[in-house]
Amino acid sequence: MAQTKKILVVEDESHLAKGLQFNLEREGYEVVVADDGKAALQCMREQTFDLMILDLMLPKMGGLEVAKNIRETDTRFPILMLSAKSTEEDRATGLEAGADDYLAKPFHLPELLLRVKGILRRWEWYKQPIQGQENFHFGKMWIDFATGKAKGCSGEFLLTAKEALVMKLLISKKGEVVTREDLLETVWGYDRETETRTVDNFIARLRKHFEKKPQKPQFIVTVREKGYQFNPDS
Amino acid sequence: MSKLKALFHPIFIFVGVQVAWIVLMAVWINWYLKNSRKFQEFAQKIRPDLFADEFNWLILLEGCLLMLIILAGVYIIFVYWNKQARLNRLQSNFVSSVSHELKSPLASIQLYLETMKYQKVSKEESEEFVEMMLADTERLGSLINNILASSKYDPKNMQLQCQPVKLGSFLGEVVEGLKRQFEEKNCEVKLEIQEDCVLLLDKRAMQMVFNNLIGNALRYSPVGASLTIRVRKKKKFCEIDFIDRGMGLTKKDMKKIFRKFYRVTNKKSQNIEGAGLGLFISKEIVRTHKGQMRVFSEGPGKGSVFTVALPMDKNSKLKTAANGEGE
Repeated sequence: MAQTKKILVVEDESHLAKGLQFNLEREGYEVVVADDGKAALQCMREQTFDLMILDLMLPKMGGLEVAKNIRETDTRFPILMLSAKSTEEDRATGLEAGADDYLAKPFHLPELLLRVKGILRRWEWYKQPIQGQENFHFGKMWIDFATGKAKGCSGEFLLTAKEALVMKLLISKKGEVVTREDLLETVWGYDRETETRTVDNFIARLRKHFEKKPQKPQFIVTVREKGYQFNPDS
Repeated sequence: MSKLKALFHPIFIFVGVQVAWIVLMAVWINWYLKNSRKFQEFAQKIRPDLFADEFNWLILLEGCLLMLIILAGVYIIFVYWNKQARLNRLQSNFVSSVSHELKSPLASIQLYLETMKYQKVSKEESEEFVEMMLADTERLGSLINNILASSKYDPKNMQLQCQPVKLGSFLGEVVEGLKRQFEEKNCEVKLEIQEDCVLLLDKRAMQMVFNNLIGNALRYSPVGASLTIRVRKKKKFCEIDFIDRGMGLTKKDMKKIFRKFYRVTNKKSQNIEGAGLGLFISKEIVRTHKGQMRVFSEGPGKGSVFTVALPMDKNSKLKTAANGEGE
């Protein structure tokens, strides 16, 4: 990593914010702290960041709103949510609002640092162009990995961050079999709770976008008992 | 879906049950009147002695009374059911907000402890960390006190340990103890003692009241807003006003704000922590001191004034009462 990564910590509890800043700086990241939702969006407009650590209970504008706000213009900016709400439901709402990862308070420091590292690694991998190209064409369709835009069977649309990551992995290994475990490891990263079924759901969603007949896929093919394979030329 | 849900609202169910049972009653009466002659003939064959008397009004009245009692019973059940549902809702709100409030300082303490475990920390840094952890434990402690107190402070069994307290210097101590919080919020506190008084107070309980009021003022005010604490005499009471420049209150909120678990819900306050206990406990404590607690606000956004009025002339009585309980 040539460049230091810049992280925006959005946390209104000053003690927690200070502690996070201290630890992240020790790990070699550059850290900016915003203490409410509006300040966070202001920071996002003025500077560029590699990751946002976002608390949910914030004054002025809540964390969920902040995440949704960011997702309106940027579908792929990595967000790690940090919240005292720890039920499955809260987790699901957080991830739905656009978080890449969700960690409940109180958390373990090593786990937090690992997750930060994981998200940044995935983001870094995602940003590398395939064969020097940001755009990938197959059939009459294309995906622009830089913007997250894509053209499927029924016109242009925006891929979510995870969808883009899945497509990227499949395309970068086109013609080869990618196992579900590979996909989980690369796209979902550290989180072991995610089941392999999640992968199947994502593939089903992607087929709806890119296949004329999702039941008889041409591009994203299932390889029995192994995983999936991407065939661009069929 | 929400329309279907609305149909199952207790009010609709209640009205539905009433209508259904009145209709059933009417159908039954109708059927009975139509067939009453047959019944009479039938009954006369079996027990002719039953028809010796004339029509009995007493039995009719009894029947009506019974019906009224059943109606009243259903109504009472309904009212209590509703009350229970509201309490359950409040309770679950309370649990979620309390768990949030407990977890925040806990997360902070855990983070600093793990930082000291996993990172190399200089002596100054570790001293700073310890300071912050202590502040967090204090926060945790006062929250736990509030929770415990809310179940304990039933005015009937509250025992005050009263001692003469000079209000001005006592308030000064309380403010000094919260210095760090004021600095963090960049808040300027003005302590205006117009007339100082010596009152008989349970120092610990009253400190909780003041801490709650000042804490609220800080949480519900923007950074940099000032807080004025004014002590003055009014008739037989010594009044302490906490005047903040915070988000203010609507009339509806002013009415309900001292209720247990009640929290002001609007867009601005939804992300502010709180369990809805502080003001309830404070009011109970002030009430056991034979005082009163009031709130006034000109409206949302215009700040609010919380007033604690403590009696001056009943001190002697309070003292004997407190001693009596202590024995």
